[in-house]
Amino acid sequence: MRLGNIGQLGERDTMDEQQLFREIVLPYLDDALSLARWLTGNISDAEDVVQEASIRAFRAIGSVRQNNPRGWLLVIVRNTAFTWLAKNRPKAVVVTDDERIFEQASLEMTDRADASTPEAVVIAQADADQLQRAIAALPMAFREVLVLREIEGMSYREIADIVDVPVGTVMSRLARARSQLIQRISIGEGGKAGAA
Amino acid sequence: MIKPQSWSSREEALLLVNAYVDGELDAAATVEVERRMNADATLRAEYERLLGLRKTIASRVMKDKASDALRARIAAIAEPAGSTNVRPLPVRRAPRHFEWQQMAAAALIACFLGSGATYLALQQSGSAGDVAAIIADHQRSLLAATPVDVVSTDRHTVKPWFDAKLALSPHIIDLTSSGFPLYGGRVEVLGGQAVPVLVYKHRAHLISVVAVPKPGGSDDGGFALATTRDGYVVRSWRGRDFTYYAIADLPPEDLDSFVAAWRKQAAAE
Repeated sequence: MRLGNIGQLGERDTMDEQQLFREIVLPYLDDALSLARWLTGNISDAEDVVQEASIRAFRAIGSVRQNNPRGWLLVIVRNTAFTWLAKNRPKAVVVTDDERIFEQASLEMTDRADASTPEAVVIAQADADQLQRAIAALPMAFREVLVLREIEGMSYREIADIVDVPVGTVMSRLARARSQLIQRISIGEGGKAGAA
Repeated sequence: MIKPQSWSSREEALLLVNAYVDGELDAAATVEVERRMNADATLRAEYERLLGLRKTIASRVMKDKASDALRARIAAIAEPAGSTNVRPLPVRRAPRHFEWQQMAAAALIACFLGSGATYLALQQSGSAGDVAAIIADHQRSLLAATPVDVVSTDRHTVKPWFDAKLALSPHIIDLTSSGFPLYGGRVEVLGGQAVPVLVYKHRAHLISVVAVPKPGGSDDGGFALATTRDGYVVRSWRGRDFTYYAIADLPPEDLDSFVAAWRKQAAAE
């Protein structure tokens, strides 16, 4: 619905908007739900977020970016999720404008050069539960970038647009997210996998 | 595409190996990273780990699938209001003073748009369709994470918001002292027309007041409509330049006292 333009809001527009909504929002519901689930942490909250985001998307359907409707929708889902979290779980969201908190988090390479160490094997053998837990434990700013890249398959440029940070920040957060994941899986779960 | 500016730090090397794994480097940078990894076993090992992680995530972490129920709920958002009740698409009631030529023109446009339902709805009084649409809007607002687009208990915030959104200024009445504090406002589409909706609170219940523009109207003291459907009580009355519909899942007498308080206050202002 295009607001503030009541004179032009006729039957035709309404029909077009319904059509646009069907073509732009419905095909990407799985993407929307996945992102919302990783941000909120569970599926029923994610469904609420997706529903709210879809209502917003329908209201703003006139502003859709035709060249990247999925990215357009995911921006709305992401922002809706953060609004939802701020309202329902204020403690879960570390709202930070201080980039340094994340960007200065350590990013170190392990000293061991041997790629065939048990560590690499452990990563390859990590099961779905381990991965879920490790991803869920990432700080929000790292998690969203990792999810957008690995689960939604978005490019750095698209992620930068969605999260509204420079591409360099996306690179930095993604590298840190992965570094933390690798550490968690290989150190935190190493005993378990080693025994198998 | 990302180009290496320098290899001054290990950290930067790591960022670029990540970008390499993601296929985000241009040809020159790709060659450079590959050359570096061949010469640097630690970097090579890091690359192997990142690659392993990517593959593991890709094969083990599945995308969530939207359930059929969710899919249906989302699809319903774009459906014309009221269609869940399988009623004809409601269209704004044609003002009674329409000339027959205008009526004919409207009917012709409706036919041209190819919507038989639209044509049928024009033929009937429209009020049944309007009520169904208003109930559906109210229900949908209760399902949404927030029933309002603008949250404010201050009518001086809500009024300019409608002005800016719709270029419409419905009468916004402060009924806090009567036990009906203002909660906020939203915009709904009724018969293809965006209309303001005021939301009031009464204990744990929400009351939606839909203001349909109707120039020249004034309060005649009576009800244009008083009905109960699907557990929702609906009251409609004429006010200055608008026809109002109040809807809530309250006992009828509670909604009546809300409407009475509203009209009394509106007449006094």
